[in-house]
Amino acid sequence: MTRSTTLLTLLAATTMLSVQALAADPIKIGVVTPLSGTYSPIGQQVRWGLELATKEVNAAGGIMGRQIELLFEDEEANPSVAVQKADKLFESQKVDFLTGTVNSGSTLAVGQTAERAGKLIATTVSFADSITGDKCSPNVFRVNARAGQQSAALAAWVAKQKPKAKVFFLGPDYEMGRSTVATFKRTIEGLGATSVGEVFAPLDNKDYTQYFGQLRQARPEVLYTSVAGNDTVRLLTQMQDFGLLGNLLVVGASGTVTSQNIGAIGSAANGFGTGVGYSVQIDNPQNKKFVADFKAAYNADPDLYGADSYGLIYFYKAAVEKAQSTETDKVRVAMRGLTWMTPQGEKTMRSEDHQAVQPMYVVQVREGKFNVVGDVAGSEAIGADECKRF
Amino acid sequence: MLSPSHLPLSATLRHDRSGLLMRASHVLVVVFVVAALVFAALGAALGDTFFLRLATEALILGGFALSVDILLGYTGLLSLGHALYFGFGAYVSALMLKQTPSFWLAMGVVLVAAAAFGFLTGLIANRVRGVYFALVTFGLAQVFAKVVYNTRALGASDGMIGIPIVPIELGVVTVMSNAPVAFFLFTLGFVTMLYAVSAYLLDTSFGRVLGALRANENRVPFLGYSTHRARLAIYVFASVVAALSGALYPMLRGFVSPELMFFAASGNAVITVVIGGVGTLVGALYGSVILTVLKSVIGTMTEHHLIVVGLIFMAVVIFLPKGLMGFVRPRVARLLDGGGR
Amino acid sequence: MTSTLDFIQFVLAPQMITGLSLGVAVVLVALGLTIIFGLLDVINMAHGEFYAIGAYAALALGAVGINFWLLLLIVPLLMIPLGYLTERGLIQRVFNKPDRHVTTLLLTFGLALVLEDVLKVAFGPNTQRPSTPIPGAIEMFGIMMPNYRLFLILFGIAIIAAVIVIVNRTALGAMVRAAAFDRNMAASLGVPVTKVYAGTFAFGVALAGLAGVLLAPVFSVFPTMGRDFIFMAFTVVIVGGMGSIIGTVVAGLLLAQVQVLSSLVVSPVWSDPIVFSIMVLVLVFRPQGLFGRLGHA
Repeated sequence: MTRSTTLLTLLAATTMLSVQALAADPIKIGVVTPLSGTYSPIGQQVRWGLELATKEVNAAGGIMGRQIELLFEDEEANPSVAVQKADKLFESQKVDFLTGTVNSGSTLAVGQTAERAGKLIATTVSFADSITGDKCSPNVFRVNARAGQQSAALAAWVAKQKPKAKVFFLGPDYEMGRSTVATFKRTIEGLGATSVGEVFAPLDNKDYTQYFGQLRQARPEVLYTSVAGNDTVRLLTQMQDFGLLGNLLVVGASGTVTSQNIGAIGSAANGFGTGVGYSVQIDNPQNKKFVADFKAAYNADPDLYGADSYGLIYFYKAAVEKAQSTETDKVRVAMRGLTWMTPQGEKTMRSEDHQAVQPMYVVQVREGKFNVVGDVAGSEAIGADECKRF
Repeated sequence: MLSPSHLPLSATLRHDRSGLLMRASHVLVVVFVVAALVFAALGAALGDTFFLRLATEALILGGFALSVDILLGYTGLLSLGHALYFGFGAYVSALMLKQTPSFWLAMGVVLVAAAAFGFLTGLIANRVRGVYFALVTFGLAQVFAKVVYNTRALGASDGMIGIPIVPIELGVVTVMSNAPVAFFLFTLGFVTMLYAVSAYLLDTSFGRVLGALRANENRVPFLGYSTHRARLAIYVFASVVAALSGALYPMLRGFVSPELMFFAASGNAVITVVIGGVGTLVGALYGSVILTVLKSVIGTMTEHHLIVVGLIFMAVVIFLPKGLMGFVRPRVARLLDGGGR
Repeated sequence: MTSTLDFIQFVLAPQMITGLSLGVAVVLVALGLTIIFGLLDVINMAHGEFYAIGAYAALALGAVGINFWLLLLIVPLLMIPLGYLTERGLIQRVFNKPDRHVTTLLLTFGLALVLEDVLKVAFGPNTQRPSTPIPGAIEMFGIMMPNYRLFLILFGIAIIAAVIVIVNRTALGAMVRAAAFDRNMAASLGVPVTKVYAGTFAFGVALAGLAGVLLAPVFSVFPTMGRDFIFMAFTVVIVGGMGSIIGTVVAGLLLAQVQVLSSLVVSPVWSDPIVFSIMVLVLVFRPQGLFGRLGHA
């Protein structure tokens, strides 16, 4: 271990030298994201989004003349690993800012580590309401839309499509899945719909057909689901095999159908609707350029994770330039209330709870593409500030 | 995988030899502690935080691996779910500290609770042995981890943050759990104490029964010992050691999450023990440092660290079945033997 | 009254058919595990990964245009050398150690870690799914049943029957059973024990691969899919009895029913604990499992 310390010191010394030769020290941004394990496809989008924006900013002269340097660490979607890696980036690499965590457990734990280290972090993926709600932290910002925003946009659209619909809920049986269902249920019932049943399946469930009896018996017009990843592939394709998709409008959380699993779902994804903060179809010049550049660089479409991570770099750049510093306290003040441009339009960081306010979209899948079928202004979707710590 | 009792020696010789090997283990622990002290001094001099905390984590995981070795090395029982007790200790400690940030109270409660929990679950696990033991412990941990993962009062899948920084009163000094050097030294002392207690227990007549149990289970009852009780006792002891190590985790990192009791955590402890050397106790500590460094270094270079760790692990099982300490320890013992005469 | 009928028709009956198809799937995965365990006394922790390799092989070969029905033959054949080499190259190296159970378990655990990551390097982390070979569904008494699931149940039963016949009624099977009963005696009777061991391991691995091909269209394909069935498969092997094939079949079908029917009454999340409790109860009251051990019955 001592040897690696020496090595690191040496390494640090050499990079310092070479950088000093260039200009000022680079601004270091740590990225703790799942590069292995179940969440690695999301980690990949995070990485691509950050790298693309960094390349652009650096080519245009960096932030206040300083280049951005990204330092990646694999968190394996495990909070214990995430905290250890965050500690490494904060204490050993002396990063100025940190991002990348995906599952909410990691975001919360790393947020606390940042608070103790006196640094700032932002999440571009986690959408658990608690992160900017009852578990908010003065050192944690969220640039992506949270579950509540997504629900609000989706519910408004569903109520328009099928007024007073009978809705069935199917979620994964764990905290996140349950709270996402609860939020949507509350919102849609407020708009006149009736609930005709709900079922919670274990996470990583193999076979959803065992719940189809209850689903059929309830005769719903709308199915809301908050399953994600492989679970969605199984749920929707099994529903298709059992002929259940015919007269049913299937809607879900933003992580239910994504660019990672849509290929495997195939035609069973047709008609699926969700409320998200991003779609490649958003029609504005920034997004067109972003999508083209992203495709050219990585030979893949960006998704909401890639887009929000891309936008984060511009958020940080704007904050540092406003603060004229990378010091935690000054940057925090600059970030509060900041308005900046992203591929999905203008976002504003709400100072009361560090939650970004942004226009929300409803997208529906047609032939493997997410088409924008509705939108809701940021102010309507944002919901109340529930953060009491600052 | 061989314990001293497998060596083809007569009974008296075997005892001498195992005593010598145990002394070699003690020497290796002293070497470990001295190296750790040098490391701490270096860390303090350089004002480092990260490496000290990482090393503290390695020590905590070393204590956990020690408990796996107590089971595997001394009873031949492989637990594939021992992270259950590590996580149990971490959660109980976290809950206690959130109520009252008192170190000794938290540790006391963990001790009692883990003994009770280890006893109850041990009643189930000890109905069986061999591969069945491995699979039952695997299942036990799966079931409990799932319960924690779904219990809102325990933070469910998100775990719990906000475990306060605790002062540890040690009479003359008070160690703060967020002071890198002090907490590292404290953990070093604590884990060494766990080692010493384990080594002492396993060296008493109780430990001998276990050794005999391993060598020939059917004959032990004729000697007047209950195999079932002996095995249950060691199971409870191993649970307590794992839980006490786990209790330090939230003090170091300030949070707990259900991942602490997942299979990956249990598997890591097994890898640690096998690489370090089964049945040596001290191997768990060395193994933990090796694995932590390995993961930290390789994890930064490639996201495919599982391939590397998996291959190293397989190579050790095949080519170095007694692990690193199984290789080093007899050599130290020979030195001791030569020096003693 | 109608509500009771409704319940049976819409809930109970489909649920039990689901249980049957899940049970057949579990048995397909567990079959290879139990044969390997019955003969070699080896718990193959990498069994789930061999199942995943089968599924990926089907996916890759299907992508270059090979017909699904051919894959059912080709993939298991490709798995045989892989299994044979794994046994000779890895298992045999530690097979004669005193703690064979533990050592081989550790070795295959390491292998599982490596294989899972290798699959991710080779095929990427995203979920993939081959298209259903037999599309469409039929309706019987108001119960929808996808054709492929029906095929899966029938074909699965055929495979299970074939395996039972091979092990119990052929000369090859007799050698396997003899080696499982008493290794030394079998050797002195001229049974090539080492080859029988490797061959049996390869057979078990081929079965896992076949299960991968068959189940991929239903459960989709991703690098960590090997962990999916493994808990259930281990439970089935234990409950059924150490390496008993009939026991595995009975336990697999029964436990799958327990799992799906219990999910009607309690939160589905508790179905795993319920299945686990049954395993513990069986171990307490009938440690040898429901049926006897391979070669001994």
